[in-house]
Amino acid sequence: MKVMFLQPNLGAWSTWGKHRAPNIGQAQIAALLRQKHPEYALQVLDCRAWEMSNEQMLEEIGKARPDIIHIGDILHTTGGAAVVYRYNQAAKLVKEKYPEITIIAGGLVYASAPRQILRRNPWIDYCLVGEQDISFVELVEAIASGREVKEVKGLAFRQGKEIVLTSYRGLIKNLDELPMPAYDLFPMEKYVGHDYWKHYTETWNSRGCPAGCNFCYEWSQFDSRGNADLRFFRARSGKLVADELELLHDKFGVKVVTMMDDCFNVSRQRMEEFIEEMIKRGLNKKVSWCFLGRAPYYLRDIDLFPKMKEAGCFLALAGIEVATDEELKELGKGITVEQVEETIAKLKEAGIATVLTWMMGFENDDEYRIKKRFEAVDRIDPDICALQYLTPMPGSPIWPKYVERGWVKFDDLKTWDFHHPVVPTEHLSQEAIGRLGAWALREFYSKPGRVERILHNRIYHPLVGLCFRSYMENMSRFEKASQTDELYV
Amino acid sequence: MMQRDVHLKPKDLLEHLQFKEGDFGKIALVSGQPQRAKLCLDMLERPTKNFTFLGYTFWTGFYKGRKITVGNGGFYSPDSAFVTELLCNAGIDILVRLGSCGALRGDIGIGDFIIADKILRGDGATRYYVKDDFSPAVDKDLSDKLCKVMEKKGKVHKGDIWTTDALFRETKEIVNSYIAKGAIAVDMVTSPFVTLANLYGKKSCAVLLVSDNLITGELGFSDFKLFEAQKKMIKGVFEFVLDLDV
Repeated sequence: MKVMFLQPNLGAWSTWGKHRAPNIGQAQIAALLRQKHPEYALQVLDCRAWEMSNEQMLEEIGKARPDIIHIGDILHTTGGAAVVYRYNQAAKLVKEKYPEITIIAGGLVYASAPRQILRRNPWIDYCLVGEQDISFVELVEAIASGREVKEVKGLAFRQGKEIVLTSYRGLIKNLDELPMPAYDLFPMEKYVGHDYWKHYTETWNSRGCPAGCNFCYEWSQFDSRGNADLRFFRARSGKLVADELELLHDKFGVKVVTMMDDCFNVSRQRMEEFIEEMIKRGLNKKVSWCFLGRAPYYLRDIDLFPKMKEAGCFLALAGIEVATDEELKELGKGITVEQVEETIAKLKEAGIATVLTWMMGFENDDEYRIKKRFEAVDRIDPDICALQYLTPMPGSPIWPKYVERGWVKFDDLKTWDFHHPVVPTEHLSQEAIGRLGAWALREFYSKPGRVERILHNRIYHPLVGLCFRSYMENMSRFEKASQTDELYV
Repeated sequence: MMQRDVHLKPKDLLEHLQFKEGDFGKIALVSGQPQRAKLCLDMLERPTKNFTFLGYTFWTGFYKGRKITVGNGGFYSPDSAFVTELLCNAGIDILVRLGSCGALRGDIGIGDFIIADKILRGDGATRYYVKDDFSPAVDKDLSDKLCKVMEKKGKVHKGDIWTTDALFRETKEIVNSYIAKGAIAVDMVTSPFVTLANLYGKKSCAVLLVSDNLITGELGFSDFKLFEAQKKMIKGVFEFVLDLDV
């Protein structure tokens, strides 16, 4: 059985410039498949890393002649849901040329909207519904042995004119049981972060987030038949995370890592174990890392900040999304503005640079609310701000309401990268939201003194300045994405 | 009716600001933007604040043993005139401007450096100080030295600077007339800065960072090259002052 994991030549978020990392979702399921079936031949074709055209992609597939191709991404940071468009297009090309290849799609959106996907994309044979790891292995086994696939849980496929959804798969409870991602299948030397971070990769060592905000994109990783699966947090141990970084450094020369967990700092004990391992093994001198976390956990761990810095942490991201406690409550964020302000201030104090994510395009947003929100972001004064437009995702609690109102339609998802406004608000058109977004980002990066403070900072790691530089250089791309159909993913 | 000849003299203001002789060094590095002054401040060891007046702040500290004063000396002609006059009265002998400008030649890029040669007065403030035919002059020796140092930091153009007061009246007619007189860049400060230095017999020079280009229409105010070049400009100017005989 020959299985290929395909990454078409897609781009990245408009503000991220040239940004390429291994498809970590595929690395994870490939590792599990290899563990269960070492006899299968696995291959990764990362057309993005190799900058391959569609023609070259098809040529390579023709040479490899896989029985199965897997497509899909698990990280919303690769390009939001817009990557799904790119995967679907690649699947179409492959199916047209090689109809005998079975195409299996999993990850973001495929997991939560399998019916819509299969209806619109006849070239995809199977969607993995919800968490894909075990379903994928069992599906490949069934195909290899010629067994009926309907017994495989967490699957959607066509049967005649019908789309069949098999039973709910459930979640893997202990991530420590999963093998190390199969990085060896990927061209690790080809990856780069934010234009300038070389020897770069991304890891993904926990799943879910206890907050499970009702607008969150990550709902689209899960089967909506589950009981709010996003809120079920699971994580690999701190020791295993350190093992992974050690392998990445020693075997693949990785020096910069973004922990792409939805929320890396949920468990203090795990963070303590991880930073202790990093320091004990001397990995803190070899690998610099950054992560995404939640404000209340940052505040709980303020005393750990110096150790985090010592362990190699150079950048930390927190989300505020909106600007008042009332709005935060409305969104179910479970944090306060004060907590975010304190988080950013304390991280900066500890010499860890900060990224603050915020959003616009919520149901009741008008120009006044958005401009007040910007004022709050400006006052909190993170080093980098990342702005996204509310994009309801299938599977999220807000999705049914948006569909009912006719505000959102499941289309080809081409512009669903969170940098194009795709839904209006009660008071603003998509065009008006885009205009405000373009204004806000330029305003943030034009503040006198901010640029100098970050570029010439003597306390921050030089990687921070490079990331900031990339954001500044790509600002006009965000402005374009906000106001036109220009695509960067 | 007012009884005194002059309401406020620089010495009065210095006294009001509790300034003492010797608080300043002999060399002042003066920028328009406060954030640029802050970057200069970051280069100093043991800096102490001299004063803040109407948002213009000066600090004095040491760079490799040399006593240097840094601060923001104004964005426009009127404020640049009175802050420069204040500095000239406070014991500064050498005034170095770290400014920004628009280029008047198509081949000059964002982030390039301009070393001021002659100054073409298009501002209003200096009319209160000198006659219309007065031609402000930077110190040639200082300018040559500054040019040499900056050439190691980036692309340098030496030439005449036109100072204007009216950003949105840089019309084709006016701009072309100053180009015909030899100007290669336009700013809003250098004329009063050099004029006042000349009046008080102080030495002055100026390096300007190109932020936009009036010929190509390029607006580089948020361009990363600008911020990168700014860093180099500051490093260059600090290297330059180390070599001066004061």
